[in-house]
Amino acid sequence: MSDWKTLIAPAALVLSTSAPCFATVYFTADQAQKAIFPGASCTPWAGKLTDVQKKAIEKASDLRIRKDPQIWRVSGGGWFIVDEVVGKHEFITFAVGLTASGAVKQIEIMEYKESYGGEVRDAKWRAQFTGKTAKDPLRLDQDIQNISGATLSSRHVAEGVRRACALYDIALK
Amino acid sequence: MNRPFSFASLASSGAGLLAIALVAGANPTARADENLFGFIRGAETLPKGHFDFYQTITLRTSKDVGVYRGWDSDTEVEYGFTDKLQGSFSVANRYIYSRGGSDLDDTNHLTFGGVDGSLKYRLLSPFKDGIGLAVRLETGWLLHDEVGGLLEHEIYVAPDIILQKNFLDDTLITELNFGGEWAWGKDPAEQYYKEWSMQGGVGISYRFAPNWFIGVEGHARSEWPLFNFNQFEHVTVYAGPALHYGTERWWATLSYNYQVWGHGVDETSRSSTFAEETKHVVRLKVGFNF
Repeated sequence: MSDWKTLIAPAALVLSTSAPCFATVYFTADQAQKAIFPGASCTPWAGKLTDVQKKAIEKASDLRIRKDPQIWRVSGGGWFIVDEVVGKHEFITFAVGLTASGAVKQIEIMEYKESYGGEVRDAKWRAQFTGKTAKDPLRLDQDIQNISGATLSSRHVAEGVRRACALYDIALK
Repeated sequence: MNRPFSFASLASSGAGLLAIALVAGANPTARADENLFGFIRGAETLPKGHFDFYQTITLRTSKDVGVYRGWDSDTEVEYGFTDKLQGSFSVANRYIYSRGGSDLDDTNHLTFGGVDGSLKYRLLSPFKDGIGLAVRLETGWLLHDEVGGLLEHEIYVAPDIILQKNFLDDTLITELNFGGEWAWGKDPAEQYYKEWSMQGGVGISYRFAPNWFIGVEGHARSEWPLFNFNQFEHVTVYAGPALHYGTERWWATLSYNYQVWGHGVDETSRSSTFAEETKHVVRLKVGFNF
């Protein structure tokens, strides 16, 4: 083997083996519903957000609506919302379960495809959202702890939950 | 390493580009973390315990006369010591091809460029503090210069300030860099053994689709030999587009820069300078996250 080939061989080996695939879908909507509201049934919300409502939600949550969220009414009271926020490269899809009074029951990260910041899936961090309503700030370093090294993801998920709470307050209450 | 060889045979080889990438030229300013631009850096740092592998290939080509191609390579590993402090180490190489240049002897050879290391500390997060701010210090030792691949024993120190401001849910990103560089041991490749330079630039990039960013960047560099501000050598301004693709485990950035203005030594009638610079600079970076 010539000199230059011996020089590039190790790097070529690294390049050829360093693009692994990772599973990034953690919950389907059905699985997330069962995780947040075990034993309950969910019915798709028959309503549709009006432009006025969307603007009000964006203003209240300080976050743009890029795509209409999916909304279900939960048997026995409560709401199940699937929405997405901007990740570093792609979108982070998450589910929020709200009680009949609009308080967060639980959140789940359904899809996460980013290089770093997967700590937003940690149960302890997600537990901070339990009980929060549209009256709470739902902002990093105020009532939600930042995850160092995962700041973009933790901020955007907090913003997404804030938007879900605002949605309840404006359109579902 | 300085043995002559045929460019045509190398280019025709299936591994030609990779050979050039790893055995060819060098860039004294190595890059860190995921880069939206070819030349401008952001204020983000790697999370603690993670490391990245980068390969940067730069083609500097076209001077006022003759044929010139300078291929620079930078192979870099970067590690997050804490969520705010990261360090990197890189190996630089170059391949220089020159025919009929006004200041350069004809040459066609591969050389070992040198090694460099850097530390970058993030003071403010662009995601949390409204604006991102980081300071970076790079130092390196270069055995051959990037213009002609000529022997030198350069040691340099280059501090840098990095600002980053994001808009539109972090889909529109602006970055600003400003720094200096003290270099010693540039002879015999250059006339003067030491040099002070200032460099800076700005970039703006927009995420137009998931995974994809498109942007423009501009950067300037001016040099003063012998650390003497009365001994101005040249200043150049480059600008051009940058396309970035990023995904979970790897990313790539392709950047093209054109010398829009140059002033100083060997300045042409079209306000360009080519003694140490070129008309076109194309840079490809590929990074893998671990």
